[in-house]
Amino acid sequence: MRYQRVVNEKELLESLAEPGATILCGGTDVMIKMRAGMMQPSALIDVSQLDSMQGIRLDESTLIIGAATTESDIHKSPLVREHVPLLSTVLAKLGSVQIRNRGSLGGNLVNASPAADGAIPLLLFDTEIELVSAKGIRWIKLEDFFTGPGRTVLAHGEFVRSLRLAIPNAGYGSFYHKVGRRNALTIAIASLGMLLWIEEHVIREIRMAVGSVAPTARRLRAIENQLTGRLLNDATLDAARQLITDAISPISDVRASASYRKNVIGDLLVRALGASLH
Amino acid sequence: MRIQCVINGQPVERDIDADMRLLDFIRETLHLTGTKEGCGEGECGACTVLMNGKAVHSCLVLAMQAANANIITVEGLSDGHALHPIQQAYVETGAVQCGFCTPGFIMATYALLQDTPDPSEEEILAGLEGNLCRCTGYAKILDAVKLAAERLRASE
Repeated sequence: MRYQRVVNEKELLESLAEPGATILCGGTDVMIKMRAGMMQPSALIDVSQLDSMQGIRLDESTLIIGAATTESDIHKSPLVREHVPLLSTVLAKLGSVQIRNRGSLGGNLVNASPAADGAIPLLLFDTEIELVSAKGIRWIKLEDFFTGPGRTVLAHGEFVRSLRLAIPNAGYGSFYHKVGRRNALTIAIASLGMLLWIEEHVIREIRMAVGSVAPTARRLRAIENQLTGRLLNDATLDAARQLITDAISPISDVRASASYRKNVIGDLLVRALGASLH
Repeated sequence: MRIQCVINGQPVERDIDADMRLLDFIRETLHLTGTKEGCGEGECGACTVLMNGKAVHSCLVLAMQAANANIITVEGLSDGHALHPIQQAYVETGAVQCGFCTPGFIMATYALLQDTPDPSEEEILAGLEGNLCRCTGYAKILDAVKLAAERLRASE
């Protein structure tokens, strides 16, 4: 196997043309998959020090995050804390100090775990992803990026340069909770994030994203639409629980059963909405 | 491949395989066996070292990624005569039982106190969240971190 630390994107694109080449950034997923024999790349192309994939900047009403920026740097960023504070909160619960010091959000997304913690807040902030290849640049909504467990629309020879988060209008409440067996380093059994705009007890806007209860982390647009405009009361809470239980398609695995996941995601939703009600 | 880096203040240069992990470079090539391998997949923290001032799992870093980096392992804390105040605090509070996780805990503590010299209990728990200990039940480790923080602040 070959290792190459690339210093510019031209070099990166040339190296990625090699059929068995894989991008290496923090290594928190790639190193584990290689050891487990799940990946046998002919070349590891290290982008962890590529300047064009680093940093966090404000661009009008969006926040742009370099795909290789470490989760620690994003968590601590004053721009992130000011404009999309839920992202900072969620990242504090991703992995551990050691993982966050190496791992990147670009890597978290490309790994495409149905349990990806980073995906939940990014879905809530209507994130778009910048994909770069020899053919040029394309922007794709994060909602359309995942195609299944461990699978994305990323083509061979293509890489993720940055993520663009839309800064939401002020005045919302936010919620995130992950259920797992240990606080740190846990792979979520179920997770739910929410942004909620309430005006005189009426749901003006609601955004919801869930992890570990479907083949990919996903937004729940249909439920968002059904809850918008409703009075936030106990009847709405009951209806919401039923809607989310019907909408998700969890599996039973080593971490939890499908029926447990259905119950727990309903509880999380009621808790999230109830926080604004009570 | 040729790697150059600084380990515990000493420049080193070696030829290694491209697929070698930083953990194996430290233990097998440089014979610094204080750094331990527990799970090998970033769950237990026994292999924690500092890379450019930040705590990382050396089992998840490719050795070549540490090229030109500054690495500190548990061997780099003491001056060779007296234990480092963090090590001394772990000994005095009984925070070491079988000792296998201890180098990782000490390095995580070192990184924590470097950024947060006077941590709250919550901050200590967050700083050590990536490390597992099967013996102590963690109470003595918390005592050790508090004692070490106190002594380090007093010595400044």
